[in-house]
Amino acid sequence: MMTERVQRLKDRFLEAKPTITAERILLATEGYKKYAGDAIPIFRAEVFAYVMERIQVHIREDELIVGAMSSATRAALVFPEYQATDWLISEMDQFATRPRDKMYVSDQDKEQIIACLKDYWRGKSLFDEVGSLLPEDAAYALEHELISVGTRRAPSTETVPNYRKLLAVGLEGIIQECQEKLATVRGENKELQEKVNFWKAGIIACRAVIRLAERYAQRADELADQEQDPKRQAELRTIAENCRTVPARSPQNFYQALQAIWFIHLAFHIETPAHACSFGRFDQITYPYLQKEEREGCLDRQAAQEVLECFFLKCNELIKIRDRWTATAFAGFPMWAILMVGGQDIYGADATNEVSYMCLTAGEDVQTAQPVLAMRVHKGTPDPLMRQACKMIQAGLATPGFFNDDVAIPIVLSKGGSREEALDWNIVGCTQPHPGGGGSDGTPDGGYVNLGKVLELVLHNGVDPATGKQVGLATGDPASFRQKEDIMAACKKQIEYFYQMIIKNFNIVQSAHMVRLPLIFASVVMDGCVENGKSVQEGGTKHNSVGLFATGPANVADSIVAIEDLVFKEKAMTLPELIAILDKNFQGEEPLRQRLLNNSAKVGNDDPYVDGIEREILGYCVDATQPYRDARGGRFDFTLMSQTMNVVQGAVVGALPDGRLAGEPVNDNASPMMGRDVNGPTATIRSIASLDQTRFWDGALFNLRFDPRGIEGEKGLKTIETVIKTYFQEGGQHIQINVVNDETLRDAQRHPERHRGLLVRVAGYMAYFTELDQVVQEAIINRTPHLDPTRGCGCGCGA
Amino acid sequence: MAGTQARTALVGSIQRFSTEDGPGIRTTVFLKGCPLRCQWCHNPELIAFSQELIQNPSRCVACGACVQACPQECLSFHQEALTIQRSACTLCLSCTRVCYAKALRPVAEAMTPEEVIQVVARDKTFYGQEGGMTISGGELLSHGDFVLALLEESRQREIAVCLDTSGFGEQALLLRLAQDPIVSHILFDIKHLDEDRHREYTGVSNRPILDNLAALAAIPSVRDKVLLRMPLIRGVNDGLEDAEAAKALYQTLGLSRVTLIAYHTLGLAKSRNIGQEPVSFAPPEQARALAFQQCLESAGMTVETLGDFAPSL
Repeated sequence: MMTERVQRLKDRFLEAKPTITAERILLATEGYKKYAGDAIPIFRAEVFAYVMERIQVHIREDELIVGAMSSATRAALVFPEYQATDWLISEMDQFATRPRDKMYVSDQDKEQIIACLKDYWRGKSLFDEVGSLLPEDAAYALEHELISVGTRRAPSTETVPNYRKLLAVGLEGIIQECQEKLATVRGENKELQEKVNFWKAGIIACRAVIRLAERYAQRADELADQEQDPKRQAELRTIAENCRTVPARSPQNFYQALQAIWFIHLAFHIETPAHACSFGRFDQITYPYLQKEEREGCLDRQAAQEVLECFFLKCNELIKIRDRWTATAFAGFPMWAILMVGGQDIYGADATNEVSYMCLTAGEDVQTAQPVLAMRVHKGTPDPLMRQACKMIQAGLATPGFFNDDVAIPIVLSKGGSREEALDWNIVGCTQPHPGGGGSDGTPDGGYVNLGKVLELVLHNGVDPATGKQVGLATGDPASFRQKEDIMAACKKQIEYFYQMIIKNFNIVQSAHMVRLPLIFASVVMDGCVENGKSVQEGGTKHNSVGLFATGPANVADSIVAIEDLVFKEKAMTLPELIAILDKNFQGEEPLRQRLLNNSAKVGNDDPYVDGIEREILGYCVDATQPYRDARGGRFDFTLMSQTMNVVQGAVVGALPDGRLAGEPVNDNASPMMGRDVNGPTATIRSIASLDQTRFWDGALFNLRFDPRGIEGEKGLKTIETVIKTYFQEGGQHIQINVVNDETLRDAQRHPERHRGLLVRVAGYMAYFTELDQVVQEAIINRTPHLDPTRGCGCGCGA
Repeated sequence: MAGTQARTALVGSIQRFSTEDGPGIRTTVFLKGCPLRCQWCHNPELIAFSQELIQNPSRCVACGACVQACPQECLSFHQEALTIQRSACTLCLSCTRVCYAKALRPVAEAMTPEEVIQVVARDKTFYGQEGGMTISGGELLSHGDFVLALLEESRQREIAVCLDTSGFGEQALLLRLAQDPIVSHILFDIKHLDEDRHREYTGVSNRPILDNLAALAAIPSVRDKVLLRMPLIRGVNDGLEDAEAAKALYQTLGLSRVTLIAYHTLGLAKSRNIGQEPVSFAPPEQARALAFQQCLESAGMTVETLGDFAPSL
């Protein structure tokens, strides 16, 4: 049960409009002008400190956890050093009216932002810089959505800091480490000098964060002085004391631990347009502080729960500006602030503790999009924890997402993690298992290959039928294809070609980050960066990798089987004849489309043949990525995930041989093509689990949707639990379950005002359904709902 | 011919992840053919013992291929809607082979027990302690040899079986099936306890059904497997007198687990789709269903409900 305070805070949050503010760009620009000339890392740290020293402090009514980006409750700052001037200026008037992720900006802020961009920033952003470096073929491939190349608009902040250590030694401990390094190294060569600069910058950045906390302490005291209500006055005094203690030094209690984590999390988002800054194994990190209070006999459980819920609500305040394209590919203001609970300790025993339960309860109470709750499941997961989580799913909260220790631990060992790091694994990004402990940079978004387009290119000998241009490899005249192996071989070559294109261009982008925009604060909180005197961008952490993605693999497998049946086996027509029909988007050929749709096996129905073809296609993706290295020597890891890129990239893919019409979204993440898994969830689960997921070192995101009427009561609860556990037993790595019926979603489309709080799992994150635009909403509604009595009896009899 | 019949049965469908046909997660096998004619039947396409042609108008793309394919010329389109002259249809099923949209399909497929169990076994990992296969229909007692063979297959694969029966059939067969250790549950339908009403609505006497139920209940190990299922239809069998009669019978027999199932209209479309004129009923109001439930519960019975009862006025 939420307290009245939490309810008030939540109500205020739900009313808040996402807002763009000018404050940061104005301050940063002053900083950039003032500190130009310093060595890059020091320059970057000084600008950060300049902003931190001056950004307004806001302690809102009722707050217990403090620290805000702006006076607006949901605010996004402007980071011109990353975000291209051109689109920011040209889209500035459209933020409030664009179809996805609408944002508001006051006239005054708008004027100030545009003036500042025009006056100082034109052509200076990372996006502009890499734009000038990318070769022509990549420019075409990007413009036509054949591929995407990640981190062109934002840095890789997709990390989990070593919070255990940060809480133990405080930022003062990090400063001390940097000072110790500086005491022994002088900089007698370029590399050492860069290290010296990095450590100096680290000290500046940590002090800047401590300084912000001190300003909050002062503000809390000022407010306390004016406060009439003695209860609130006492709260403000506590806040002041908390802010004087953390994040500088180790927290004295659970409340302070949460405040410390919040300041560090907030600081990332003021340093850069960060996303996917995760909390790691939050229950493991914070439990010692709760335990300490219990030992000392001063633990007030209700109060601790309330503070935790205030922390959860805080997590929703941070959003970022995305351009129109990004807001479509990653719809619903995702921030991927993953908060993990459960799992094993480094000895393999169950690690669930009281905070694990408190986090689920907080998620249940506040029902917000952030943090994203992720639960590790293993054989020893306690029944009550599993039950509480399944109850949340049953209630339609769509959270937590479930992760399988049995798949993640071997993956992390394969990645080079130690046994301890493997048992302590956590999610970086979305579904990517990483070595635990805070020494892993996963840079999830290296880029996406549009596999639907790949197949189209195979069927047109490398020519994009949309433009007539030769953009892929010439893999052979389709008229010469005699068997499915010919198509598979051509797919393999195109897949290799496009991943090579991404890798080459991603490395250009990554190098630009290294030389222009290393992150200082976000680096020194990671294990390895201080040790190595290098930022995350330059490979400072112990483990470095980059995730690469693929969109639409199920459609490719469905299409190849459909071609094999129609052309090679039944010989109903030649492949060129079929391609001519696809080029006309099946116009006048509906019976043929029905034949392709309904008479060949489709992924998601436990048909080993077609599932095997998808497995093989995905194997090509793994083979085309894993052997290669990024600009700092890190590995490329494959992820079976599309986010909502299946909408963006699907939009440019013509009609496919599986019966999919031109422009429709392709399949969602690891799930089958929407509406084609007609044999029930057990069949779907077996199909997806059979894809050999241990090869996807950055995970496989599986969305399942149930109709709420199908999983009611005690039996429904058991059904959910069995589905999760069996999927894991069969080799699944991650599953997230939406429980919401069509009527509710349709009603939310018609009356968004009645369903503002309706959360859905989009990909590895939650979003408010009514904030998604119609195409994404439709894609979610079209995910096959299992056990929906209104969709007929399920036996295919036509009722 | 007799040999063929023993080896295969017409299977309407095999429904995976079936959660309402017995405990746990199950796969339900629907056999075609039933001696009862319950007017509210929700699987009317599984009543006849012979193959039938079923249409699904919502899938039809009006391509006309079926009209061309029919050697009897019994298919025609009127304003984009397909009409089947069923009296002339010889069930050659030529039309179904050209209907790629699957708007015309044979109701069932002849399958061997081995073929059936192969599908069922695919979900074995989901069954756990509680779940397994449910054999439903149609009426399984009308497919004795096939069901016995299917039980053998289940035993070999260690998949527990739940029987879903109207109870109308040969008692020796029922007892043999019920006592088989691989059978964990028996869903036993009770439609009406009044003989005349039973004849009126189902076309058969309820005496053999009640005799069979008594015979099952007389064997303690079998009695524990029995789960009574009562479809409740407004104005037909949802009265308090019906509840009282049921309570008295179940008490006498020592049966205590009952599921009340709200009538639903999903059978109507299927009935039309096989060319019949369905009779429409309504589910009881919630208050009435609750009174029914409480009557049984007053005798210490465990009563569950399934489906949507009508909102009370």
